[in-house]
Amino acid sequence: MNVLIVEDEKSLANEIASFLKSEGFLCELAFTGLDASEKIAVNLYDFVLLDLGLPDYNGLDLIVEARNRGNDTSFIIITARGAVEDKIHGLNLGADDYLAKPFALMELFSRIQAVARRKFNILNHNLKVGDFVIELQSRKITCKGNEVIITKKEYDLIQYLIINRNKVLTRNQLYEHIWGNILDDQYDSNFIDVHIKNVRKKLNEHAPTPWLETVRGIGYRVSLEK
Amino acid sequence: MIKLRMKLALFNLLSKLVFTLLFLLLLPFLIERISLLQVDNELIQEREQVITLISRIGIEPFITSDNGNVFGSYNILKEEFISLERIDLKEDANYIDVSQRLIEGENITYRVLNYSFKVDGNTYLLEVGKSLSSILHTQKNIKKVMLLFLVFIILITFLTDLQYTRQLLRPLDIITNKLKGISNPSIFDKTPVRTTTSDFHHLDDALIELMRHIDQLFQNEKEITVNISHELLTPISVLRSKLENLLIRSDIGSEISTKIEESLKTLHRLQSLVNSLLLIARIESQQYLRDESFSVNEVLHEIISEIIPIAEDAGIIIKEEFENDFHIKSANRSLLFSMFYNILNNAVKNTPSQGEVIVKTTLYENNYTVTITDTGKGMTETQMSTLFSRFKTKVGNNPDGIGIGLAIAKSIADFHGIEILVNSIIMKNTSFSFRFPENS
Repeated sequence: MNVLIVEDEKSLANEIASFLKSEGFLCELAFTGLDASEKIAVNLYDFVLLDLGLPDYNGLDLIVEARNRGNDTSFIIITARGAVEDKIHGLNLGADDYLAKPFALMELFSRIQAVARRKFNILNHNLKVGDFVIELQSRKITCKGNEVIITKKEYDLIQYLIINRNKVLTRNQLYEHIWGNILDDQYDSNFIDVHIKNVRKKLNEHAPTPWLETVRGIGYRVSLEK
Repeated sequence: MIKLRMKLALFNLLSKLVFTLLFLLLLPFLIERISLLQVDNELIQEREQVITLISRIGIEPFITSDNGNVFGSYNILKEEFISLERIDLKEDANYIDVSQRLIEGENITYRVLNYSFKVDGNTYLLEVGKSLSSILHTQKNIKKVMLLFLVFIILITFLTDLQYTRQLLRPLDIITNKLKGISNPSIFDKTPVRTTTSDFHHLDDALIELMRHIDQLFQNEKEITVNISHELLTPISVLRSKLENLLIRSDIGSEISTKIEESLKTLHRLQSLVNSLLLIARIESQQYLRDESFSVNEVLHEIISEIIPIAEDAGIIIKEEFENDFHIKSANRSLLFSMFYNILNNAVKNTPSQGEVIVKTTLYENNYTVTITDTGKGMTETQMSTLFSRFKTKVGNNPDGIGIGLAIAKSIADFHGIEILVNSIIMKNTSFSFRFPENS
């Protein structure tokens, strides 16, 4: 998939690009609105990561321009402004998702994946992990045909780890994914440990989970052979 | 506390009563003086008439040797008498006094004018008397009428004073009402109060100007907070992406990974801080919408089921005691969620193992109240006084918290008009009560 990163903060744009490239994306960069506008007009991107605070352009206008040309590129807004009306306005204009800065690169990746599943209509996309099957559409985990009963939050946790498989996720990143930014002050490293402990227990009742690793001093990782 | 209007009216009443009392004390004396003067004047007039009569027709019609040189006349009610007598006097008499007279066996007190004059070498004494009983009677009547009149006047003036001061002080009342319950200078009613009293006009003007100024300062402060926060978020974002990219590299050892994770954690604290300040600034500048309607009990239930795993792990029981439900209109669900989550989470963190946290909802006299009580360490008065201040409290000993959670909860509560009451018994329990406004 090819992605255009529209971000005036060059070093941030480069970091995002470097991360997405490692995930197999083709990335192009635009540091100004004008540059972005030209690139969107000429090339067909699957995704545009759009910073709203551009020096020369109102980021939202780029969405309007693209839509007026019948361009169905998916826009994911990334912004530090994060005001409520920006978010609503952006989504109303046809943006596919909205991320407030600072965000985790893994969060961005999982959002892109979710938008991609909708965009390419991959409804029955299932992920296989050991003896378990993660049904992304129905948000269920099954093991040899039996459903594993877990809570919504536990499912979110395990899906996030699996989508970002083979990468260590810190407790902070996991917490942020599940509870978002609004509960920032409540962050408690123990939260994630308790939830992982519970998920492990529930999964282990069906089959062993050697793939769900605790990485000492850092966090957790789902290790799968590539 | 007494209202100014009442104070003025009471002072007026009191001063009137004092003057009236003084007047009533002086009244008998005054009336006596006045009526005696009046009587004396009449006596003198009558004397003049008698003297005029005598000088016209002579003394003979009155004084003859037949009646023993004495003439007397009185009216049938014995209120007045006139007597004329030939007498030997060493000195001239011309005075008025009070004396008793026996008339037809009746002893009556008269005011008597004594006047001596000479006719044909003989000295005559003229006495003109008026009964004092009529005077006393008049005095009594005047006193009664006066008293009634004064009571009436006092009552009327008290009522008119009250009405007038009410009218006069109405602008002050309006200004007081405008100031009542103002939590934020931006909601101060800035329409000038209509008044013809220059003092109130100045007061109102000064208040409006002051409120505008404070409002502007608040606005500036919020803008600065928002701007600084935004400026801070971009570099945090850059650093974060760089560190995250480093952490996922497979060629780094665990020692470096741990250091990177620690840096990310510190960066996360900075991010939390900026986001929390931004959140408060946004709530206070009304940037959030209150356009959702939902059941508060459902929100509480959702929060409880999220926290239960943590509580169970720590050996703490969370009890749901929902007596009444409440469908809130026009509120922000995620903000209220955040507020209750904050408090409930704090309660669980501050409760030792085997303790319990109770979430209770009640409806009392149209006031829906949510109370979250824990059996934790409790708080001292000093701790409670700074509870909602930013950065001043670190409830519990969570090293990851930044001590701003309760400040956020407070601003969310204020935003929704919810009153937070905190009760605590040291070493026993702490309870947070959220009283929802009646018409929410």
